[in-house]
Amino acid sequence: MKRDANLKLFVALSVLFVFLWTIVPFFWMLWASFMTDSELSTGIVQGIDDPTLDHYNRIFGHADEEAIHGGQTKLIGQGFLNSLLVSLPVAIIGTAIATLAGYAFGRFNFPAKTGLLFGLLLTRVLPPVAILIPYFTMFRTVGLVGDPGGLILTYLTGIIPLLSWVLMGYFATLPLEVERAARIDGCSRLKVLWYVIIPMAAPGISAAFIIAFLFAWNELLFGIILVGGTKWQTLSPALLAISPLTAVGYSPIALFSAASALSIAPPLILALIFQRYITRLNIVDPVTVRE
Amino acid sequence: MTALQRVALWRSRSGGLTDPQFALAIVIGVLLFHVIIIIVPLAYSFWLSLHETNVILRSREYVGFDLWGEALFEEETQSATLKSLYFAAVSVVLSLVLSLGMALVLNQEFPGRGILRALILLPWAVSEVVTATMWTVMLEPSWGFFNGALQPLGIVGEGHVWLNKDWALFWLAVAFTWHIAPLGTFFFLAALQTIPQDLYNAARIDRAGVISRFYHVTLPHIRYAVLIVLVVVTVEAFRQFDLVFAMTSGGPGTTTQILPLLIFRYNFQFSQYGLASASSFILIIIATILAVAYFVLMTRRTKQTRVAAAQRRAAIAAESS
Repeated sequence: MKRDANLKLFVALSVLFVFLWTIVPFFWMLWASFMTDSELSTGIVQGIDDPTLDHYNRIFGHADEEAIHGGQTKLIGQGFLNSLLVSLPVAIIGTAIATLAGYAFGRFNFPAKTGLLFGLLLTRVLPPVAILIPYFTMFRTVGLVGDPGGLILTYLTGIIPLLSWVLMGYFATLPLEVERAARIDGCSRLKVLWYVIIPMAAPGISAAFIIAFLFAWNELLFGIILVGGTKWQTLSPALLAISPLTAVGYSPIALFSAASALSIAPPLILALIFQRYITRLNIVDPVTVRE
Repeated sequence: MTALQRVALWRSRSGGLTDPQFALAIVIGVLLFHVIIIIVPLAYSFWLSLHETNVILRSREYVGFDLWGEALFEEETQSATLKSLYFAAVSVVLSLVLSLGMALVLNQEFPGRGILRALILLPWAVSEVVTATMWTVMLEPSWGFFNGALQPLGIVGEGHVWLNKDWALFWLAVAFTWHIAPLGTFFFLAALQTIPQDLYNAARIDRAGVISRFYHVTLPHIRYAVLIVLVVVTVEAFRQFDLVFAMTSGGPGTTTQILPLLIFRYNFQFSQYGLASASSFILIIIATILAVAYFVLMTRRTKQTRVAAAQRRAAIAAESS
């Protein structure tokens, strides 16, 4: 019995550690965003005498005091909107294409399946920085620099392999019987996919949608190269522009913390809503999936 | 029903395509899209790596593989490559330990488990830029959280610089682990849930301790998840640019200038497109070798593991009945 009590204590301590490890960075970033700059500079581990919403007001454009260097704070709101306009199409189109590919990989056998799957996954290994200049040159030639279309296309290529792989695993675990019955009743393959498979695979597809959305929402590098400094600038480059770590000139970290805190609202809401779908994703060996 | 029978049954109603043909058509379509959007830029990048560009004279001269040699043997690129390897190695080790640990904890029964499972996903959901903000708030020497909490206890000295030239890259790997480990946790959780409870009960009857149970029951079932986490973290660590760029931009000095950052600087600070492209291929080749190695390991291991797990399960079932 004593051993059981020890084990319980150990689990309790581990739970506490996991909780703190996860939440502490979030907490202190939020804490900093309610401090004035002078208060923050004397140390973050102290009570806030007079919590201020100044930084948030500035980002929303309600403050009397003008924003830092050249109204960069206004770009946060614009970036928020732009990121939505880029991330939603990426999530929708990416999930649609990956559903088809995942269905093909997860349900059927065909010649050179392993090789083709590996080819697709290998594109994920490619470091983005390696194709930066060619992308830039290519997109400039066809006029897609400074255009959200180019960014959407780039993100699609980045995320489809991963989504296909996730969905392939999911499709492979669904029961075959319903599908077979529908086929015998005269449904075409695409009809079966639409009316039978997709409803059954809704959790997996939702998870894929979220992964794609988060990827597009969070990406920085191609955002800088393709739309940085234009009116289509997405959120990550806009954030970096007011970052005290990289910005030229003076920029307060409290304001940056507030902007960062605002930027994580959509991802956090999505992650919390769909958490139960993501936990139901199946890890299926992609190589030996042979139904 | 065999595949052949299915084909015979379904063929009549599918516009003449057999199942394999249908699947192949989709897959080739998707791959074609990727080939155009990735192979073409890669080919262009290769062409660039064979040419020395002079931006001022607006000239481009064919130099063969000279720039590859420069990328391979120059001290700057070599040290950046080593830093990339170090960053990836630390990230992989920390992420494996942490994500497996968190998964084992979250697999226990305790009040509030559902909420904690949702919470731990949050670091993965935020961007690398925001991760950089948070860890700057933690590590900042004059007012940051670590010093604020640890100085009064006397653990660190006044204004301890966490991101110093010896440890900055390590702390970047810690921040990266904080961001990426939840993903591994979910892979492990999914794998842990497939283990039949009977196995643990049988092991307990045999008086197997916690460690023995982990080694003989848990580990064989999560071996595949271990490999996935290895692949994902390694690949992501080698691709990583955003976090390092946002947090230290390669500093102090060039101590955290990993290869992707150096390539970025070659491109946009020095306009040395040829050298940048040649260095890119080094990065691609290392990442590909690792990915292929894991992939081979994965195909071999999983087959072995499955047989082993099935045998073990049969043995335990026979024993406990």
